[in-house]
Amino acid sequence: MANSLRLYLTCIRSTLEAAMCLQNFPCQEVERHNKPEVELQTSPELLLNPVLICRNEAEKCLIETSINSLRISLKVKQADELENILTKKFLRFLSMRAEAFQVLRRKPVQGYDISFLITNYHCEEMQKHKLIDFIVQFMEDIDKEISELKMSVNTRGRLVAAEFLKQFI
Amino acid sequence: MSGTGGFVEADNAEAVITRFEHKSRKIESILKQSKPVEALKTALEGSPPNTRDERGKSSNWIVVHRAIMAIKDLDGLFASLDPEHYDILMKYLYRGLSTGNRPTCDQCLRIHKRLTERAGLGCIARSLADTINTV
Repeated sequence: MANSLRLYLTCIRSTLEAAMCLQNFPCQEVERHNKPEVELQTSPELLLNPVLICRNEAEKCLIETSINSLRISLKVKQADELENILTKKFLRFLSMRAEAFQVLRRKPVQGYDISFLITNYHCEEMQKHKLIDFIVQFMEDIDKEISELKMSVNTRGRLVAAEFLKQFI
Repeated sequence: MSGTGGFVEADNAEAVITRFEHKSRKIESILKQSKPVEALKTALEGSPPNTRDERGKSSNWIVVHRAIMAIKDLDGLFASLDPEHYDILMKYLYRGLSTGNRPTCDQCLRIHKRLTERAGLGCIARSLADTINTV
């Protein structure tokens, strides 16, 4: 189980290392504009093949690259209804603070839980391998965070219920 | 079907089906002899990245998938597979990873790791960048 997670993260890491070759490319249609081509999807010659890496039926990662930008969308494993709600709330909390993360996208791509948008400017300011480390570390930590949250919700619920029901004993 | 010529227009349905059946029979017979590496080599050869026909691509994927799932010994695989097949294998691995089926993904992840160690990041970059010859 842990082994398959390692393999999944290794695959994503090597794909990102190969895909993160971004350069500045001003917009072809509008002069003096510089837009992330992966978001526009207007010129097929500027886009590479999108790659979908699934670990199983529930978890997957979509990596779309273009000449000046790269978009990574993640779908996190959600085993039950409670994890579903916790994941949604937690990732919405992060997405709303996307300014602080710089590489985070404010809204996840349709069908996924969270998305990152890395542009050539990010690659110029920050180191490429550090960006990849960040993404992979994020994926590892998300799972831990969600399980911790779930455990604390269950513990709190149990304590509250015990206290409440004491009055009926 | 060597891949060096022009595009093979396989709009002819019978041609697609006969080629697929012929290939899968060959693969089955090789697998019965417990030579999964040979089967994979046969499946990858004559792969139609230069066919525009979706049916040709999907039927070839089924054959390659069968061969990939039969592989148990990864060291032996890379000892005998030619480097010219690495790129095509990488493209099929990504197709396998996009299916979402757990055993397929496990097997594809395992082979992907070893193939990257062997062939390097260039192999991945070529499979991403090649929008013309897709599997």
